[in-house]
Amino acid sequence: MAQRLIAWIDQRFPLTTFIKRELTDYPTPRNLSYWWNFGFLAGFILVIQIISGVFLAMHYKPDVNLAFDSVQHIMREVNYGWLIRYIHSTGASAFFAVIYIHMARTLYYGSYRAPRELMWWSGQVLLILLMASAFMGYLLPWGQMSFWGAQVITSLFGATPLIGDEVVLWLRGDFVVGDATLNRFFALHYLVPFFIVAMVIIHLVALHHVKSSNPSGINLADKDNIPFHPYFTAKDFFGLGVFLIIFCGFVFFAPEFFIEVANNVPADPLQTPPHIVPEWYFLPFYAILRAIPDTLGGVVAMGLSILIFAAMPFLDRSRIPGGARFRPFYRALFYIFLLDVLVLTYAGSQAPGGLVAGVDVVATVIYFAVFLVLPPLSVWEERWLRARGLPPALRDLLDSATEPEAKR
Amino acid sequence: MRSLHAFAGFFLLVTAQAVWGEAVLKDVEINHDPATLRRGAETVTSVCMSCHSLKYLRYRDLLDVGFSRAEVEAMSMGNKMGDPLLAMTPADIAQQSYGRVPPDLSLMAKARTGGAAYIYSLLTGYYQDAAGQVDNHVFPGTAMPDMLGWSSADTQQRIEIETQSREAAAFLQWAADPRAAERKGLGYYVVGYLIVLTVLLYLVKRRVWARLH
Repeated sequence: MAQRLIAWIDQRFPLTTFIKRELTDYPTPRNLSYWWNFGFLAGFILVIQIISGVFLAMHYKPDVNLAFDSVQHIMREVNYGWLIRYIHSTGASAFFAVIYIHMARTLYYGSYRAPRELMWWSGQVLLILLMASAFMGYLLPWGQMSFWGAQVITSLFGATPLIGDEVVLWLRGDFVVGDATLNRFFALHYLVPFFIVAMVIIHLVALHHVKSSNPSGINLADKDNIPFHPYFTAKDFFGLGVFLIIFCGFVFFAPEFFIEVANNVPADPLQTPPHIVPEWYFLPFYAILRAIPDTLGGVVAMGLSILIFAAMPFLDRSRIPGGARFRPFYRALFYIFLLDVLVLTYAGSQAPGGLVAGVDVVATVIYFAVFLVLPPLSVWEERWLRARGLPPALRDLLDSATEPEAKR
Repeated sequence: MRSLHAFAGFFLLVTAQAVWGEAVLKDVEINHDPATLRRGAETVTSVCMSCHSLKYLRYRDLLDVGFSRAEVEAMSMGNKMGDPLLAMTPADIAQQSYGRVPPDLSLMAKARTGGAAYIYSLLTGYYQDAAGQVDNHVFPGTAMPDMLGWSSADTQQRIEIETQSREAAAFLQWAADPRAAERKGLGYYVVGYLIVLTVLLYLVKRRVWARLH
């Protein structure tokens, strides 16, 4: 019966061939480490956020007089509303944590290089959509930090030359963040995930066309590829288990860890909270914004600090495969960058002025310097590595590869 | 020009923190046993609620702290079980007397850094300055009077007030997150289940990968 049903479907829709090609026969490098689990995890969190978000939307009211109360209604009176809301609020942080690790893996192993530029760029678009969605979602609880965060960030658009004030007015729908802003942010917060899903599909189609990169950085011979199912389904599900233990640890035992205390106070346009900070995942970019004394300059630097990742395939001139693994200077640069981002995160979380301001400026300079140094450094590094003789492990890999990327 | 103002304002907001400063809170252990919560609820409903509301709680929620139905009905003074806990002083009169409406207390234990410790430190933070004016170490210039009488109490009375403040803080912590106990109870099962599941998933992964050589 089941076989006849599948045969009926297969005549009309390529169900069996699709599953075979994309899952049970889909060739995946056997040497992928656990760092390759995070794309799957990001997809899983997207589903969690959409489902929990839909249920929250059934009880939430996007109205300045009702929004804060409706969140408390969800927390106290809706059956398991507290669980749905804490899953959603923790999920936002989890999403960024996983995406940042996913990006760091791509940078470390040089996975952004040919032929995976479109994967990297679709990922870049996904990051921006995620940031937009997180920013608008943060307004919805209508707490003090929601309101003042939105007020500060929307006011930054006032730095747009000539039409700054008009742009801010257009974004807010009012002269200050108010009911019109809350309503449109709610509508957009519900809309953006559709774009994210569409972009994820593009990201996956591109992935299944170019196939996964791997720690060696070169395309492996056929014998080194194994089918995605059951090998990587088993590995991904184990990774998911580990992730869920940590995630549920936060949801059940420290759900307010990611919620600012000031956001448990209803939004009050007349009273500014003593210290406005964005959520942790925006802190490095916020620190860069603050490092530049000029508003327009700060906004441009902040935008550039996110968009500059897209230039990586052009900035990295080296043809040595394997990203940081075989490239000591690139590896050093990677760790400097990682450390610098942590310093910026700290600087962004502190009240400005004094020592922090100095640290902030230095860290911002280093942030951009890393990208500027990369093109000459990668060219020089490749020459240096070749002159020195490639390490035996790398030479073996290059010899055994049927189609090294370096020769494309 | 306006954008310039907005930006100046934004920096002012961010620097305000340095000026504000942060008071040192007292180190206090908050107990959540039923008797403490019950006494805390009595203090909060009889003292704090003369001016403050706890509007996200309803009278029937007090049943969860261990009051009987009859006791809650007596406390509700004619309100229905499903009614929110509102302040005894109407908002406009409070506005006249204190210059502002006293904040709702439902979420207070989650809305201040330190939570319950903040509430305890505030209640036991009153003092009389040289001019005889009562002020507060934790919240200088607060409009809230020293309701428990800490600033004028002797050592013996202070021990009593400390207990009372601890109980009130415990109740307000419960009020800010009434589902905390349920959440943690459920959390042990969820995380326990996930640990077992993850160990099994690891074994599955190992067995599946053992087929490769």
